[in-house]
Amino acid sequence: MAPASRGVSRRTFLKGASAVAGAAAAPTLLTGCGSSSKPKELVFWNFYSPNPAVGSPDLAAQDKWFRDMVASWNSQNETKIKLEYVTVLGNPKEATAFAAGEGPDIFMISPGDILRYYSGNALVDLGQYMTKEAIDDFYPNNMQSRLMDGKVYALPMEVEPLAMFYSKPALEKAHISEAELPKTWDDLLSLGDKLKSAKQGPMCFSTAPGYYQNFTWYPFFWQGGGDVVTKDGQKSAFDAKPAIDALRFWKEPIQQGIMPRVEPAAADVITSFTQGYASVYLNGIWNVSGFHYRAPKFDYGVFPIPTPPGGKPTTTLGGWAFVANARGKDPETAAKFCVWALGSMEADSIKRVVDWCIHAKSDISPRKSAMAQATKEGGYDSPIMKQFKNDIFPTGRGEPRYPPVIYKAISDAIQNCQLAGGDPADQASIASRSIDAYLKSYQGVKIT
Amino acid sequence: MSGVAAATRTGTRSHAQGGRRQLSRRGRERLAAAFFLAPDVIGLSLFVILPMIFCVVLGFYQADGFGDYTFIGLDNYRRMFADPIFISSLETTLLYLVVIVPGLFIVSLLLALLIRQRFPGVGFFRSALFAPNVVSLVVIALIWKFMLTDQIGFVDKLFRDVGLTPPSWLGNPHIALWAVIGVTIWFSMGYYMLIFLSGLQDIPREYYEVARIDGANAWQSFWNVTWPLLKPTSFFILLTSTVAMMTGGLDLLYVMTSGGPANSTTLVIYYIYEQAFVYGEYGYASAIGAFIVAILLIWSGILFALTKGGRFSNVD
Repeated sequence: MAPASRGVSRRTFLKGASAVAGAAAAPTLLTGCGSSSKPKELVFWNFYSPNPAVGSPDLAAQDKWFRDMVASWNSQNETKIKLEYVTVLGNPKEATAFAAGEGPDIFMISPGDILRYYSGNALVDLGQYMTKEAIDDFYPNNMQSRLMDGKVYALPMEVEPLAMFYSKPALEKAHISEAELPKTWDDLLSLGDKLKSAKQGPMCFSTAPGYYQNFTWYPFFWQGGGDVVTKDGQKSAFDAKPAIDALRFWKEPIQQGIMPRVEPAAADVITSFTQGYASVYLNGIWNVSGFHYRAPKFDYGVFPIPTPPGGKPTTTLGGWAFVANARGKDPETAAKFCVWALGSMEADSIKRVVDWCIHAKSDISPRKSAMAQATKEGGYDSPIMKQFKNDIFPTGRGEPRYPPVIYKAISDAIQNCQLAGGDPADQASIASRSIDAYLKSYQGVKIT
Repeated sequence: MSGVAAATRTGTRSHAQGGRRQLSRRGRERLAAAFFLAPDVIGLSLFVILPMIFCVVLGFYQADGFGDYTFIGLDNYRRMFADPIFISSLETTLLYLVVIVPGLFIVSLLLALLIRQRFPGVGFFRSALFAPNVVSLVVIALIWKFMLTDQIGFVDKLFRDVGLTPPSWLGNPHIALWAVIGVTIWFSMGYYMLIFLSGLQDIPREYYEVARIDGANAWQSFWNVTWPLLKPTSFFILLTSTVAMMTGGLDLLYVMTSGGPANSTTLVIYYIYEQAFVYGEYGYASAIGAFIVAILLIWSGILFALTKGGRFSNVD
C-alpha cells in the first residue's frame, strides 16, 4: 500500500504538467485574442506626465500641460490616448520595446535619435496630415533635422538654444563688470582666469561623454565654419581648422585649471550657482524657468556663446518633438494626434504650443504663429527671455542628426582632447577617418 | 507467455492495480528529482541558456533594433577585431580584472580573518562590512560620485583639509578606473568576506591546536593550516569574482563615469550596453557578448583543469 500512496502516475503527472503549461500560456493566448480587436487606446511615452515625483511648480505645470492636452483629445475622439511616464527617453526600455515590436504608439524624440528610427521605418510622415500653411509655420532652421526628403517626421514642441549663463554675485566679487562679458574665446579664457584668482566658482562646460556633450560642443565648431560632412554628404569634412580650433578651445580651460573635469552638483546650473560651485555655465534656455521656480531671487544673466577670431555667432537649437510610431497599433490616429496637438493651424493647437513654451517651460516657440502670440502674451518680456528670442535664437542651427558612428567619432575626439590631453589635429584626423569609413557604406538619407 | 515473462522481469516495478502501473522506487526517486530540479532547469533554460543561444545566433546578423535581421556571417566578428574602441575596452577590462580580482581576494580574506576572531561587537562589524552589498548599485554610484566630485566632493575636501591637492578622481583618465576599482572593492568585499568566513569556519579547530602545540606562530598556522584548507573556497571566489567583475557593474559605470573620461572606464560590458541600447547595434553587441562568454568559458576551464575541479589533489 505504501508505494501506491507515494507514487504519481504518468497520467497524473501529464495532467498536472498540462495544467501548468495551460495556465502559463493562457495570458498570452488571451492577449493575442484581445489584440485582434480595434484598439481604443494609444500609449504615449513621455518624461513629463504622469510624473510620479512632481515636487516643484515647474514640473507640476509641465505635468498639467500633458494631462490637459490628452484630456482634450480624449473628450473629442473615440480612440483614447494614455500617457505613460518613462524616466529618460532614448533609454534601454524604449530600445528594447521597439526591438520586440512593442514600442509606444506616440513618443518623444531628440534629433540625435531621429535618423535611426527613420531608417528602421518606425516613423510616420506627419506632413500628410498637415496643411502647407502649418508646415511653413515652423521655423526652417529648427525643422531641418526633422525633415527627410522634404517630409515631416517629427513635430517639435519647443526650441532650446544654448548660451552662457553667469552668476552676477560671483562676477561682482571677481570685480568683473557686465561691460566686460566675453565676446571672444580669448575673453572667455581670461574671464576663467579672473574667477579663479578671485576664488569664485569656475566656468563649466559639459564633460560627461554623450549626445549632450556633442550638442553643446557644436556651436564652437560651427562658429568657425565647420561641417562634419561635405555638402554632397559623400566625405568627411571634419579634419579641418574649425574642428581643430574648437577641440583645442575645449582643451585649454582644463589644461589651465580654470574649468573642472567633472561638473559640480550633477551638472545642475541652479544649484551650482546658488551654492557658489560655478560662476559661468554653458547651458540651455530651459534653466530660465528653473531659476524662476527654484531660485527666483537669484541674480543671474546670459550672454551669447563667444566666438573665435573672425567667427560667426552660432548656437545649437535643441528640443524634443512628438513622433508617431509607424509600427504601432494605429499609426494614422497616432499621427493625427501629433498634428492635432502641435501642428495644426487651429487656435487651440497654436495656444498649446504657446502655453508649453512660456507657461509650462521657458522655451522659444518652434512656430512663427505661436511665437507671435507668446510675445503678445508677454512670454518674452523679461530681459533674459527677450535676449534669447532676439539675439541668440536667430543665430541658431538645429541640432544635427548624425548617425551613432559619426556621433561617437566626434565624441571621442572631444573627450580625448578635453580630458586626456589629446592633440586636436590628431584627434580631428582620427575622427575624420572613422567618418569616411562609415560614409563609404552609408546609404541612408542625407546627413545634416 | 511473453507477457508473464515481462511481468516477472520487472518484478515489483509493475504492480497492476486497476489497470495502472506502479513506479518502482528508483522511478519515483527520479521523478521526485525531476520535480525538484524542474524550477531551476526551466528557469535557467528560459533565462540563461536560451538567451545565450539567441545571443550567439544574433551575432551572425545585422539587427537594426526594429525587427529587421540580415545574415552577415562573421562580419560582426571581423568588425570587432578592427574596432579600436573595442580593443581598448578589452585592454581596460583586462587591467581592471588583473587588479580587482586579486585585490578583492586579499581584502576579503583579511577581513574574514579579522572578523573570525571573537571580540565585542563582532556581529556589528560583520553586518557593517556586508551592508554595502545590500544597497542598490545605483545608490552606491551616486553617493560615491558626489563624494568624489572635483572641488566640492567630500574626499576632495578631506585632501584639501590636510594640505594636499587632490586629483580629479572621476575626470582624469589615468585615475578614474582606479576610483571605480576602489568603489567596486568597497561594495563587493563584504560578500566575498562572508564566503571566506564560512570556509574558515569549516576548518576544524583541532588543526590549529595541533599547530600551536607544535610551536607554530600565527603566520605558520595560517600558511600551513588555513591556506591549504581554504583552497576550495579560494577557487570558488576566484572563479565567481572573475565572472562577476567581467559581466557586472554596468550600473556603477553608467552612473559614475558613463564610460569616460575619454573611454578610460569603458569596460567591455559597458561597450556592449552602449552598442546595443544607445546605438541599436544588437547584432554587433551580441557578437561581443558571445566572444566574452567564450573567454570566460576558457578561463573557467583552465581554472578547473589547474585545480582538478576545485578539489586540489593535496587537499584530498
